[in-house]
Amino acid sequence: MTTPYLHINGIRKVFGEVVATDHVELSIAEGEFMTFLGPSGSGKSTTLYILAGFQDPSAGDITIRGKSILSTPSHKRNIGMVFQRYTLFPHLSVGENVAFPLRVRRMGKSEVDARVKRALKLVRLEGFEDRMPAKMSGGQQQRVALARALVYDPPVLLMDEPLSALDKKLREEIQFEIRRIHQETGVTILYVTHDQEEALRLSDRIAIFNKGKIEQVGTGPELYANPATHFVADFIGDSAFLAGELASVSGERAALRFADGTTVAAVPLHGSGRAGQAAELMLRPERIELATEPGPEGASLPVTVEDMTFLGNNTTLAARTPWGAALSVRLNFGHPLAANVARGDRLHIRWSPEAAHAFVRG
Amino acid sequence: MLLDFHKLGAWKWLLSGICALMTLFLLMPILFIIALSFGDSRWLIFPPPGWTLKWYEELFADPRWIGAALTSAKIATIVMVLSVALGLLVSLALVRGKFRGRAVLRAFFLTPMVLPVIIVAVALYAAFLRLGLNGTLVGFVIAHLIVALPFSVITISGALETFDPAIEDAAILCGASPWEARFRVTLPAISHGLFSAAIFSFLISWDEVVLAIFMASPGLQTLPVKVWTTLRQDLTPVIAAASTLLVVLTVLLMIVAALIRKGKSR
Ligand SMILES: Nc1ncnc2c1ncn2[C@@H]1O[C@H](COP(=O)(O)OP(=O)(O)O)[C@@H](O)[C@H]1O
Ligand SMILES: [Mg+2]
Repeated sequence: MTTPYLHINGIRKVFGEVVATDHVELSIAEGEFMTFLGPSGSGKSTTLYILAGFQDPSAGDITIRGKSILSTPSHKRNIGMVFQRYTLFPHLSVGENVAFPLRVRRMGKSEVDARVKRALKLVRLEGFEDRMPAKMSGGQQQRVALARALVYDPPVLLMDEPLSALDKKLREEIQFEIRRIHQETGVTILYVTHDQEEALRLSDRIAIFNKGKIEQVGTGPELYANPATHFVADFIGDSAFLAGELASVSGERAALRFADGTTVAAVPLHGSGRAGQAAELMLRPERIELATEPGPEGASLPVTVEDMTFLGNNTTLAARTPWGAALSVRLNFGHPLAANVARGDRLHIRWSPEAAHAFVRG
Repeated sequence: MLLDFHKLGAWKWLLSGICALMTLFLLMPILFIIALSFGDSRWLIFPPPGWTLKWYEELFADPRWIGAALTSAKIATIVMVLSVALGLLVSLALVRGKFRGRAVLRAFFLTPMVLPVIIVAVALYAAFLRLGLNGTLVGFVIAHLIVALPFSVITISGALETFDPAIEDAAILCGASPWEARFRVTLPAISHGLFSAAIFSFLISWDEVVLAIFMASPGLQTLPVKVWTTLRQDLTPVIAAASTLLVVLTVLLMIVAALIRKGKSR
């Protein structure tokens, strides 16, 4: 295997009693858009700050093209970063903010002017050179910060939840800009967010963080179709989980038994497990089909309809399994059952065997 | 708002009147002194029978008055520089530091503000007797620095608290060394706090009289001390002229301080 461009090698960071990151291992290709996705406190920022050099890891190494960067101080790492908070220099104009990295590099005036102009054009803020940061909106300030982080052509750009303070519409607009900028510049981007939609929209690959560890790395579709753990399945997309136990295991498939003895067969099993262990059946709502008859191969469950909500493009049913677990099922607009389903109806949910996942608990 | 000024009706006029009276009351002695400094009566008759500039001429012709003014300016300038420099270092430690006992240390730095000045004066006098600092420039500077530093610490910490350290981090990732980041980004960003601290420190030293009386020697006295001693010997309108000059400089510096604050809030 060739040496990866950027390699995060077993990074561990401890703050007193708190383990912020635990053996984070990740390879990033040149020009890749990699997103760290995870709940608050899962160690995403800590990993980024270690890359930036603001914190030293307790163990592990980070290499770029095989060379460790840990002994290089932050200001010599030549890395760009956009922060969660607004960090424009308040006493400098937009133009001077963007020129700052070039001035500390003692670049000539004409070169500085040309680069500042190009960087502001990249973020679509041409002509804003003389504005003061305080006179700009949050979205504009983050775009200036992006221009300032890119103006010296850093090989790696770090972004720590740069859009989290903005409203949804503006956020989507700038996400689109960031994608375009990534394509235009080819810079390697490490992006932190806790918003799965943002991660899916932007990234080439996503690393799912949980409690200081990476649970799974993959493209959006990979993570969605094949979550490795319960946590990933829960975090990406909304899904239904039904608790039961493993009835039997054969190879990569398992049969699950629920509280009242109902079983489902041939469910792809993640991780290893033995018969008798507590486990969960996960179903994506859009892969569930509602029918009057049970499906073949035991890939179905009887349910009782409790309530219906019409939501325009679909009708969402609140249903209950025979042993009392709640479940929601979507019927697309125009589905033959949508018009005449009623409270108390006994129906069946069905799925194709690959669409379900079984996770051993604990 | 419950007490909206514009909705108070007749009360509005009463309140405005009270304010005007208060202002007049506070300004009266100063206006009085200024008038007397231009009055031609040797005996400080008010209202002055005529107008003259001779007290100012006398003031500027007297090397003792000029010497006292220069001493005051020299001490105030040194105090200003030291107070801002130390205030900045102390504020950095108090705001950015993460050590135990920070709150206690902060309270400690502010005690000279609440301690009666006379107690500080007596204590310093006793200590300086042993050190041989009474009547010296160094003694003056130390004494005034003690009362000026709390104001520096308050204004500079205040400015530093509203400055997000992430901005300094951003400067460092942009390629500035930590010291370069502090000088090129943090200091300019809190400059309004530094300027306010400088002006207040200068003014505190410039018109301080209690400590100065204890520190002064016949050869070394500040303008307020000179006013005080002259007043006790002979009541001449030259004192009014000197006081007027003190007030003018103070007012000018206060205006500058107010402009800085206004510029910052803009
Ligand atoms: N400077 C610090 N001192 C102590 N604990 C910290 C520090 N920075 C982060 N932590 C802890 O480390 C964990 C991970 O934090 P962080 O990396 O900021 O998470 P995220 O960015 O995913 O929200 C959290 O439990 C947080 O409280
Ligand atoms: Mg974070």
